[in-house]
Amino acid sequence: MEQEKYKIEDVMREKGAYIGPTVGVSMLPMLKNRRDTIVVRPKTERLKRLDVALYKRGDAYVLHRVIQPIEGGYIIRGDNCYADEHIPEDAVFGVLTEFFRKDKHYFCTDKKYLRYAERRVRSYPRRMFFLRVKNKIKAGIKKFLRIFKKKDKKES
Amino acid sequence: MKIKNGFVLRKVGGESVVVPVGAMSKEFHGMINLNETGALLWNFYTEDHTVEDGVAALLAEYDVEEEIARRDVENFCKVITENGFAE
Repeated sequence: MEQEKYKIEDVMREKGAYIGPTVGVSMLPMLKNRRDTIVVRPKTERLKRLDVALYKRGDAYVLHRVIQPIEGGYIIRGDNCYADEHIPEDAVFGVLTEFFRKDKHYFCTDKKYLRYAERRVRSYPRRMFFLRVKNKIKAGIKKFLRIFKKKDKKES
Repeated sequence: MKIKNGFVLRKVGGESVVVPVGAMSKEFHGMINLNETGALLWNFYTEDHTVEDGVAALLAEYDVEEEIARRDVENFCKVITENGFAE
């Protein structure tokens, strides 16, 4: 038995895969923060649309989905994110190949999983639309409350 | 001895790896690779058992001499305890 303090790149190089907990909410609803387990292997070829890429943003590791391969890199977005990122090819060093959601083991080549990934990417415009509507409603309520409070102050 | 909560055993490509979950993943940054015997003992000690219980569990599973089984269990318990995985 061996216990390692890891740097993910080193673990992948040495063991051929990194197996560890998920951290963060950017890949919800597929991966839940600190509940699920990811299996990431070194990138050996150019990633395809729907692959989930591992790269670094500063010192932080990021695991997000490839929305579109482009020349020299990828357009990438988390399943629970609304902003695209342009990531250069050489910044991506790993790819998600398997994961455990709750205790169920999924392979990223499973048809069912790929259908989920496709649906998640395709639903982005609809999710974006609802987010904008939600934000407008929130802003409207805030504005209304502000006016209401000012009115109250004046009267008292 | 009992292994602390907050770890799960995952089988990936024929290998057994223990990874932290929940709050434990904030404290423990690493992965634990186990061989077949280690995986069996890890599962066994997720509930409170003595060294003797562990030896009996190994003997029930493998055709091995008691002395070797005892050595394996004692080693396992020592490493688990020393690394802070035991309650």
